[in-house]
Amino acid sequence: MSTPALLRMTAPLRDTFEIPYHDIGPPERPPRLALVAGLHGNELNGVFVLSRLASFLNGIHNGNRSGQHLHERVVIIPAVNVLGVNTRSRTWPFDKIDINRMFPGHAEGETTQRIAAALLQVTSQAYYRVDIHTSNLDIEEMPQVRLYAPNDDERATACLFGLPAVLERPINRIFTTNLVHAWRDYGGENFVIQCGLAGNLQTAHCEMLFRGLVAFLDRTGIVTGLTLAEDEEDLRYFGLHQTFAMLAEHAGIFVSRLEVGRWLQAGDSLGHVYDGFTGDIRTEVIAPVAGLLSSLRRQPLLFEGDMLARILTPGESGSQLDLALHGQGQ
Amino acid sequence: MEKRFETILSLELPYRETLKLQRSIYRGGSGPRVAITAGIHGDELEGLYVCHRLAAWLEALERTCPEALLGQVELYPGMNPLGLDTLQRTVPVYDSDLNRSFPGHPHGLLPQRIAAAALAHLEGAALVIDVHASNIYLREIPQTRIDERFATTLLPLARRLNLDIIWIQQNVMSLLETTLAHSLNQQGTPCLSVEMGAGISLTTAFAEQLLSGILTLCQELGVLAPDLVLPEPSHRPLIVDDSKIHPLNAVTSGMFVPALEHGVAVTINQLLGHIVSPFQGDSLAVVRSPVAGRLFTLRRYPLVYEGSLLARIVETPTLEQGS
Repeated sequence: MSTPALLRMTAPLRDTFEIPYHDIGPPERPPRLALVAGLHGNELNGVFVLSRLASFLNGIHNGNRSGQHLHERVVIIPAVNVLGVNTRSRTWPFDKIDINRMFPGHAEGETTQRIAAALLQVTSQAYYRVDIHTSNLDIEEMPQVRLYAPNDDERATACLFGLPAVLERPINRIFTTNLVHAWRDYGGENFVIQCGLAGNLQTAHCEMLFRGLVAFLDRTGIVTGLTLAEDEEDLRYFGLHQTFAMLAEHAGIFVSRLEVGRWLQAGDSLGHVYDGFTGDIRTEVIAPVAGLLSSLRRQPLLFEGDMLARILTPGESGSQLDLALHGQGQ
Repeated sequence: MEKRFETILSLELPYRETLKLQRSIYRGGSGPRVAITAGIHGDELEGLYVCHRLAAWLEALERTCPEALLGQVELYPGMNPLGLDTLQRTVPVYDSDLNRSFPGHPHGLLPQRIAAAALAHLEGAALVIDVHASNIYLREIPQTRIDERFATTLLPLARRLNLDIIWIQQNVMSLLETTLAHSLNQQGTPCLSVEMGAGISLTTAFAEQLLSGILTLCQELGVLAPDLVLPEPSHRPLIVDDSKIHPLNAVTSGMFVPALEHGVAVTINQLLGHIVSPFQGDSLAVVRSPVAGRLFTLRRYPLVYEGSLLARIVETPTLEQGS
């Protein structure tokens, strides 16, 4: 059977190209789950994990994995921005447009509107929908589920991934043009997963994400017969006011030895900002609150005002700044 | 007449340097303020030249008739200084569209800080004119696009700006509520967003056309003395809503070769251009005008993907419909 495609399109000076996807499971049923990655061509963790998941599910569907059964149809698009992946570009490379700002799109409109409309048409049929992102080139994100103005079903289902955190975020004007917002018009349950740092693969994050997606398939009954590792899951749910964004008071070179996903006490050191010319320490970055280090700057070059880290707090963080600034990386 | 040069935002860069957002101010008296902003997109240069021409005009006025400046003119030609200095449309490093970053935040990331600083300094102006130059792909004749929610305030001002087209936009998507113009209009500072010319270009005739309109408006608003003799407006705008705008998108990929000059009048079904393939001799697609009107947007970057915007025609009233 030929590989299905979201759309096929001519190109000015190369072959006609297409955006292929996997459509796995009983074809007579509507899709139960749609998984999307690579809306941004430089976000590789999701692309790699979804391609591996497609291989895993195809193995089950083809009867190669004894005792395991795929009961529902699953649609997987490892990379929407195909040309962006091939040219290492976050945006659609031809006109530098962010595809995740073009929803709901338009079948007769601009190129990226056509891509958006085609993606929405295929994924909107599913009940569960997941859009996987990998932050950007600057900030590393611990694998986490993000919910935007969720309903109670989404709050409950988000925990089925078993990722270290579920984080509620507000909707802002920019987000009204992204995929997860466009999905809301079709009901069902919609999730964003953030995982890692763009421009590269972080294999530990990929493994955690893969395990999370397999756990989701198991817990929703889409796949049966799986034996999940008995890891201790330390899942936490963080509301709108339980995040603290740490911003740089000084420019320079930021160096941190920490890893995302660890717990911090107030007063712990996150790293140092150095003067790039003299080499002197300009400031030591100290955690102002206790919590889970969910986001950490990996790009050392630091402008005044840049985000250094985000800490998720068990109680109210006392900071509204993160809500005002959110939106980077999706 | 007092002339000042001010820094409205200063920010440390990673390696020693400091970024400064600057403006010039020409102050004649306590009358109203008019501000020109440009360079929000680092690849749009037309507005920078408008600022220069307005500055030159004011400096000539200072020599001949300084008392005619009753209010204040503010120029913000480099809203995205790093983008302009490095030929990038977005804010470098952040890859973020500055005109999707409003209202911003004074303690946020660089684009948000620029947005917040600009809003704080522009607030209270009698009029802000934000000059854009389309992008590197398209060329536009001088026009303003007005969100219909602000039309009552903006349309009388726009009529005097010596433009070719005033496009009243309905159902503006919420993404565009993150622009400078929307934020200013929302907070009660009238702002007209002008599109003209093309990215990485300079169209001096358009700059002169807009300059004439800016001076007319300055006089009308009381920034310039009422008895100062100004050149007569050279253009009367065509005022249209979305229903009169006809975008033409590429039906196939290739190279678009226009058959007409930008800005000309077209008849229904008139040939606008071809999409051709560099690999073969025949035409892949013929592009014709769906209506009689004016070719007000024309693609200037020849390569196209399916869906790329080739042109926009603004439908003009026919003899039967009256003018």
